[in-house]
Amino acid sequence: MSLLHLSFYSAFTLSGLGLAFHRTHLISALLCLESMMLSMYLALSIWPIENQATSFTLTPVLMLAFSACEAGAGLAMLVASTRTHGSDHLHNLNLLQC
Amino acid sequence: MTYFVFFLGFSFVLGGLGVASNPSPYYGVVGLVVASVTGCGWLLSLGVSFMSLVLFMVYLGGMLVVFVYSVSLAADPFPEAWDDWRVVGYSLGFVVVLVVGVVVGGFVEGWKLGVETVDGGGMFSVRLDFSGVAMFYSCGVGMFLVAGWGLLLTLFVVLEVVRGLSRGAIRAV
Repeated sequence: MSLLHLSFYSAFTLSGLGLAFHRTHLISALLCLESMMLSMYLALSIWPIENQATSFTLTPVLMLAFSACEAGAGLAMLVASTRTHGSDHLHNLNLLQC
Repeated sequence: MTYFVFFLGFSFVLGGLGVASNPSPYYGVVGLVVASVTGCGWLLSLGVSFMSLVLFMVYLGGMLVVFVYSVSLAADPFPEAWDDWRVVGYSLGFVVVLVVGVVVGGFVEGWKLGVETVDGGGMFSVRLDFSGVAMFYSCGVGMFLVAGWGLLLTLFVVLEVVRGLSRGAIRAV
């Protein structure tokens, strides 16, 4: 694997692991998601460079637009959680009745 | 130059590691900034300066600024930086994962970056990334409209999610 591919692949994997493991704050999980989006942007930008295909440079910009939507929705959930539970701690997101 | 680009790639992974190990969000954003700055640097070294600047403006200047002032909702009285023993444990675990992955997957093939640059060819003086992204307005107009509609829809989604008990989006929290 070339060095560039190893770089974004390992950053994506580490951020995915960071998203999966237990966090104290919801926003830490959202930051890991943003890091995954960043490594995907890098990957999608490298593809048209290597293949010398002009039209594929649309893809990372499009992905960035939808990633902005996703970040906005995630931050709205953060605000909703702070309004109902008082903080964004993940142990508050618990529907157990017992 | 090779070593500098290698350093940028390494710092990209370290930035991702810094976000994934569980510091307080104040310091997690620092890791994300480091990762995006070095990612921009790597795209610059490959020649696609336009994609790099798009990343800077939209990602760092737009999305991360919004994240940074949302982090104020996650205020800790004693934030954990990377020298906190809980965060160090996560960091070491992730470094082990990374090393095991590289060793098992086969070591990196030396200094082969594996890419070519983008300054067109011969007398063709239009750059690859400028002319490519400009296709948003010609061939890619369908997806352009879909993305614009999606962003507008997200605005209303956000306003609805934070509505609370009464209409009106401005509240103390």
